[in-house]
Amino acid sequence: MVRDAGTSVTGRARAAVAWLQAPPDTLRRGPFRPGAFGSALRSTRLTSQLGVALGIAFAICFLTGVTSHLIQHPPGWFWWPSRPVSLYRVTQGLHVATGLAMIPLLGAKLWSVYPRLFSWPPVPGPARAIELLGIVALVGGGLFQVVSGVLNINRWYAPMPFFFTAAHYWVAWLTIGGLLAHIGVQLPVVREALRRTPPETPAPAPAKSANDGLVADRPDAGGSDAGGSDAGGPDAGGPDAGGPDAGGPDGPVATRRRLLGAVGAAAGVITVATVGQTVAPLSGISLLAPRRPDTGPQGLPVNKSAAGARVRRAALDPGYRLRISGPRPVALSLADLAALPQHTATLPITCVEGWSASATWSGVRLRDLAKMAGVDPEHAVAEVESLEAAGRYRTSSVAAPHLRDPLTLIALRLDGSDLHLDHGYPARLIAPNRPGVMQTKWLSRITLRSMS
Amino acid sequence: MSAGVRWWRRVLVAAGVAIAGYALVGALTDNDVNKFGVPLFLVVVLVLHDAVFLPAVLGAGAALRRFVPRRARWSVQAGALISLAVLVVGLPPVLGFGRAADNPSALPRPYGWGLLAVLAAVWAGVAITATVARHRRDGRRDAPGRRGVPGE
Repeated sequence: MVRDAGTSVTGRARAAVAWLQAPPDTLRRGPFRPGAFGSALRSTRLTSQLGVALGIAFAICFLTGVTSHLIQHPPGWFWWPSRPVSLYRVTQGLHVATGLAMIPLLGAKLWSVYPRLFSWPPVPGPARAIELLGIVALVGGGLFQVVSGVLNINRWYAPMPFFFTAAHYWVAWLTIGGLLAHIGVQLPVVREALRRTPPETPAPAPAKSANDGLVADRPDAGGSDAGGSDAGGPDAGGPDAGGPDAGGPDGPVATRRRLLGAVGAAAGVITVATVGQTVAPLSGISLLAPRRPDTGPQGLPVNKSAAGARVRRAALDPGYRLRISGPRPVALSLADLAALPQHTATLPITCVEGWSASATWSGVRLRDLAKMAGVDPEHAVAEVESLEAAGRYRTSSVAAPHLRDPLTLIALRLDGSDLHLDHGYPARLIAPNRPGVMQTKWLSRITLRSMS
Repeated sequence: MSAGVRWWRRVLVAAGVAIAGYALVGALTDNDVNKFGVPLFLVVVLVLHDAVFLPAVLGAGAALRRFVPRRARWSVQAGALISLAVLVVGLPPVLGFGRAADNPSALPRPYGWGLLAVLAAVWAGVAITATVARHRRDGRRDAPGRRGVPGE
């Protein structure tokens, strides 16, 4: 048997595994060298604290993102209200703002565990191999989500060889799966690290547990920067000391708390520099926001232009009719629509890309059109179609809560003037608490159905 | 490890594996998912981050430790960290590949100037924080009876 080890397939495999688990030390070079990563700042406690914050950010992005997906592709059990009017504006604004603010968190977290990538031996056993696979899903997925999200809000599609929405959705599930498994694996380490007293001081290492060397570099107080020399005691010791004592005559040294502060400051700067695309009062100082809520035709941003949708000719055709399908079908010219009772509502346009802007819309209530077509507006749904010949967002569904809502309008006017062609002239849907891609423009047909 | 923690670990790992499996099946059966483009992009961003971006950051950090005088070091480190994060968010609009002739409301600002202004504000903030901290430190050091007090 033993003699066969050199020739049989299983023998070779076994030898390869044995080699992987104990590779020759001559290969231990570059970043694999012991002590290759010098920063005394890295610690289990730092990693755990960044991890908790990052986990919360991921959870916010995941929940708000899945909500947005469910609104756009509602399964039978899902129900989304038409009020509060700005609920979606808040959830989607939070989705994009959190995704942007997590960039420094994700960067710092990955920096803090980077030495683990070069632990020796690289793959000590099958458990570690599976854990690594999970980490690839988590880290690759997290980077995928942040990078594709940043590209998408800047409408820079060329580097992404896929349809953003579907990819961003499924990779979100992959990332959250990887995250939950990762939390499960690291739970004892994190609990230990987040105890009030830093675990580094009393015990040499937080037991064996799953910690197989989570952090290679034990923080050693002061380090080569002898700055924190007068900080003593287990509670204030080492890199945990965040007070002014950590700064000697040579100036402040980097401490864990200072690093966390800088990461938080970076998240804050990013937020202030971008959140004005949905929080209008801040738009003046949000110098890096991809949108301004007050910039666009009629002072309102546009996602898809009439030229881009190829509807100019059809929209400007004097023979335009809005066809209402139902028990009593009707076809209404723009003059017919304007002759119906007009109503005004101030509602936001909320783009999935994270910007939003309020505007005052006037037009006909969708529920009035439902009544006209012979459908009880209290118990009905509608399918609205655009003049566009093709395109993913050519149609949208209006669920019962929105159809019933008196604020849901077939808008003809924006802030007192006719709709700009890019805002959906001659008529568009505008409903409360709904993503912008579902506020269908250049309406050609509305199909009303009673709910049995 | 307590029994409670062990139970939670099992539940979390099982749920995570199940959800990741759901993601894989869902992605494979969704016609809108590009089966090559998505994994390719995932691997490329992972490799670029781990093999190019982070080593470059570590290299810059080492250079910074070497060349920046100790009294200013942490301030410069903090400023560099914040600036790097701002660059990740600020460079795409500065490059402006998302601009479209038919839609002037997309990327409407002068982002190059915006980025410079944000970075200037960051470094001004860092300088002010460092100056205030230094004054406070000097004040405390000059105070009588400060040195040698145990447990400070």
